Amino acid sequence: MNLPIETVDLGKRYGKVIAVKHLSLRVAQGEIYAFLGLNGAGKTTTIRMLLGMIKPTWGSAQVLQTRVRPGSREPWAAVGYLVETPHSYQELTVFENLEVARRLHPGTAPEAVSRIIERMGLAAYADRRAGTLSLGNAQRLGLAKALLHAPRLLFLDEPANGLDPAGIVEIRELLLELTREQGVTVFLASHILAEVSRLAQRIGIIHQGCLLQELDVDELEQNRRRRLLLRARDLEAARLALATAGYPAALLRDGTLELTDLRSLEHPDDIASLLVQAGVPPTQVLVEEEDLEQYFLRLVGMNGGQNHA
Amino acid sequence: MRDLTNAVWIELRKATRSRMPLFTALGFLVLAFGLAFLMFIYKYPTFARSIGLISAKANLAGGAATWQYYLGLLGQAIAVVGILLFRLLESWVFGREFADGTLKDLLAVPVARATILLAKFLVVVLWSLLLTVMLFLVSLLLGAAIGLSQGTTEVFWHGTMTLAVAACLVIVDVFPFAFFASVGRGYLLPMGVTLLVLVLGNVVAIAGWGTYFPWAVPALYAELTGKGNLEAASYLLVLITGLAGLAGTYLWWRFADQNR
Repeated sequence: MNLPIETVDLGKRYGKVIAVKHLSLRVAQGEIYAFLGLNGAGKTTTIRMLLGMIKPTWGSAQVLQTRVRPGSREPWAAVGYLVETPHSYQELTVFENLEVARRLHPGTAPEAVSRIIERMGLAAYADRRAGTLSLGNAQRLGLAKALLHAPRLLFLDEPANGLDPAGIVEIRELLLELTREQGVTVFLASHILAEVSRLAQRIGIIHQGCLLQELDVDELEQNRRRRLLLRARDLEAARLALATAGYPAALLRDGTLELTDLRSLEHPDDIASLLVQAGVPPTQVLVEEEDLEQYFLRLVGMNGGQNHA
Repeated sequence: MRDLTNAVWIELRKATRSRMPLFTALGFLVLAFGLAFLMFIYKYPTFARSIGLISAKANLAGGAATWQYYLGLLGQAIAVVGILLFRLLESWVFGREFADGTLKDLLAVPVARATILLAKFLVVVLWSLLLTVMLFLVSLLLGAAIGLSQGTTEVFWHGTMTLAVAACLVIVDVFPFAFFASVGRGYLLPMGVTLLVLVLGNVVAIAGWGTYFPWAVPALYAELTGKGNLEAASYLLVLITGLAGLAGTYLWWRFADQNR
């Protein structure tokens, strides 16, 4: 099978701190794979190991069927990347910065520079010094450097950083187009689940250096928790009535009853009738679906303030 | 070869677009004018005193308004002051990639890191040589304007050779500063080492071991010129220092984890 990225038990230790451990990833051709984690989860360390900038302490990585070795010239001709904040030579113009990037990828045609400037919407800034660019345009320049030589594999670390909403949509469309039309594979690191869920086909969740879960975007929907929230004037009586009828309810700190069993989620009307008959009519009945943020925080063991009383 | 040409183009473009050529050229011009000013005073001591250029107590013994003395001073100036500017240059060319966060764009590319480093060293050497030539030419003009005496062909030839050899020794001597800039990921470590070398150089010189201290060798060479010769070991030590600087820089770029 053609796997642009494959790692086996990859890990990195800095002194006593283990930044990444036991990471075994397989990213398929033409796929947008999102690597999701909080700050410091090990996303950037992983990308740097995959790019041969950092030597792994354990395991190995293959990128485009080539074993990654720090300092090697392979397989970088077909790899583009944007790692952390994009930095450019401040005193060079946008055009010159891209010309530098082009010359670091021998075989890239001189016209590629103007083409990518046009594509990334930087035409108005081509002759401006990179040091004068806004955050958003600096990000565009970083992306332009990554895309300049038409790579088959892209590593993008927080590509939406600094972009305005229109820019985010534009980059999303661009990446989708590259994967669909040119079979480019994208490895994306981000800490915003809502953003990557619109783009990626597969998501790997990394926390404290460990891959917690890998899932297809469709599974995301199924895994998100739903709950029924109830309010009544006498909460304790309502809870008792529900418990007697076989519906376990938890009392939350904010004075709401929470039911998570499938029966009550599918028939909230039954619950309402039950409470009316028991003489504690509900003042509020609400079926709430966990949002992506809460889902993500629950996965990494931070339940996002949903504390039980 | 194509990769090296490209890498040299990149380094030249970065250098010429920055303010460093201006700063280093200004540094060398100040040096040239400083020396010329000194020669002017030697040539016209009474005039200099009368218009208040120097104090009445100024000690002018030991100097003379001759080409030989002037060119000798020039060699020493390169070895003592020039070396500081060359170190600055070396630290900037290498350290800036770390300080500006641009290093990562040089690492996962289909051009060997050795090629990128070689281009950087070539540009530093070229730049240093150009500064030396500029210093020499400006000094010749200023010397002629002042009207220095005893300008025989032999004096010029000898002075030129001393300056050229001193400059080459200095250029090789500062290669380790590329390593210090890389390990320190910026400019602070090379600056610290520069101070340390200044202090150590003085201590070593007082102890009489200066000929075995590679960073003191160019100054000793320039000072001794015409009066004696350094041992072969001194030149060898400079060469070893330079090679160690090249090797250390390469090994660091090749094998160290790059987190910037």
